[in-house]
Amino acid sequence: MAVGGTPVFVAAGGGILGAVEALRLEPALTPVATPRAAQVLLVVGEQRPSDRIALARIHAQLVEPRATVWWRTDRLSGFDLGTRAPESVSDAAAFISAQATQSDAEAILLDDAPPNPWEGIGPHGQGGKGMMGGTPYGRPMAMTSDDLRDGLSLDAYTATFGPYLTQWPPGLIMETTLQGDVIQSARIVEAPLAQDVLAATPHLELARLLRLLELPALAERLVRAALANPSRAATGLARAVRWTGVLSAIPAGLGRDERGGDVRSRMAGRLHALAAGRPAEPAAPGDVAAMLAGLEWHEAALVLASFSIDDLRRAIVSPAVRMAKDAA
Amino acid sequence: METLLTVLVLTGIFVALVLAAYRASGPRCSPWPQRLPFLGGGEADTHAWQRYHVRFYTMTLVFIAFEMEMMFMYPWAVVFVEEGLKALAEMGMFLAILSLGILYGWREGIFRWQ
Repeated sequence: MAVGGTPVFVAAGGGILGAVEALRLEPALTPVATPRAAQVLLVVGEQRPSDRIALARIHAQLVEPRATVWWRTDRLSGFDLGTRAPESVSDAAAFISAQATQSDAEAILLDDAPPNPWEGIGPHGQGGKGMMGGTPYGRPMAMTSDDLRDGLSLDAYTATFGPYLTQWPPGLIMETTLQGDVIQSARIVEAPLAQDVLAATPHLELARLLRLLELPALAERLVRAALANPSRAATGLARAVRWTGVLSAIPAGLGRDERGGDVRSRMAGRLHALAAGRPAEPAAPGDVAAMLAGLEWHEAALVLASFSIDDLRRAIVSPAVRMAKDAA
Repeated sequence: METLLTVLVLTGIFVALVLAAYRASGPRCSPWPQRLPFLGGGEADTHAWQRYHVRFYTMTLVFIAFEMEMMFMYPWAVVFVEEGLKALAEMGMFLAILSLGILYGWREGIFRWQ
């Protein structure tokens, strides 16, 4: 975490990712990965009305005194908190930083009650018989299921992730069953949201990958180059990225798409595009949920970041369309 | 006796101060929604009480095998000068036992880089 800036959790919506990258460069702000480390909840871009509850959950997880700021978006109905920041990036950064100290503390929107009441019966209060089973706090205990990696059958944990997970494309919601850090199965609930033109430049696509690979300084150089002129060939930057050896740090054959490319080859393609000053070629991910099964959590994040958001959106048929297709 | 009394009184004062500060620092528990795990806005379907595999356990086995070896070898090196062959035989026995652990680890595949 950088020193000095106001810690901000960015809840990004649609059509905004490029602008968020510009905002990240402002020294007054420090974007953080979880709301627990943040003082300000910054809601940016077009929001789905259905994500209101998710936003309220994030809002409740901020440390007190919490503040909400809306930037380049309107307040969601039923979420009457916070103030609107000015449109321009530098004004917005100053405004957000000021809100952290000046605004009154906001109360949480959700009820202060256990999400599911305690139902402790059984020898260990777990709500079932023996050590296993039962529903303490109304949620079922994790039960064993077959392991994909080495045959040890251990407990599987199912949870819904997204839409504001910072490592994933904004708007993506997946119900994921994990065993330790291995993804057993994934079901896509909502596709990622469409983003602005700047977010689809090879610069920013590489920057997202490099941040996952813990090379934030290079990512920042790419973002600066993209903001200066996204269509100019950046041969030196492409070389700088390649010389870090980052391509060989990615496992070979990870996340094979329909054309036989993997994460490494897709990243190499982005580097070529960056050096030539043209957009990267689109990839065909195929069945994204099936591709993630059996991968470790960090590998899955890399696979998701290795596709452009448009590729993912094309590959993921929205649930409404899927239902209509099933009905027909 | 006097020293003991002073210590007891001072301890009592400090305990009282800590308890007062604890009481004055506001409510103990975070509200329920704040206590939920951060899943990017999502919610867990299953309870968090679960078992998972500690996959580094074989590495800890090897670490202990080699570390114990070294811990014994430093004092042994001093004694070896006086004792000679007897100490050498003792160290040989000790290493033989430890190497069983290493052989077991080898069989489990811990030296394979994944």
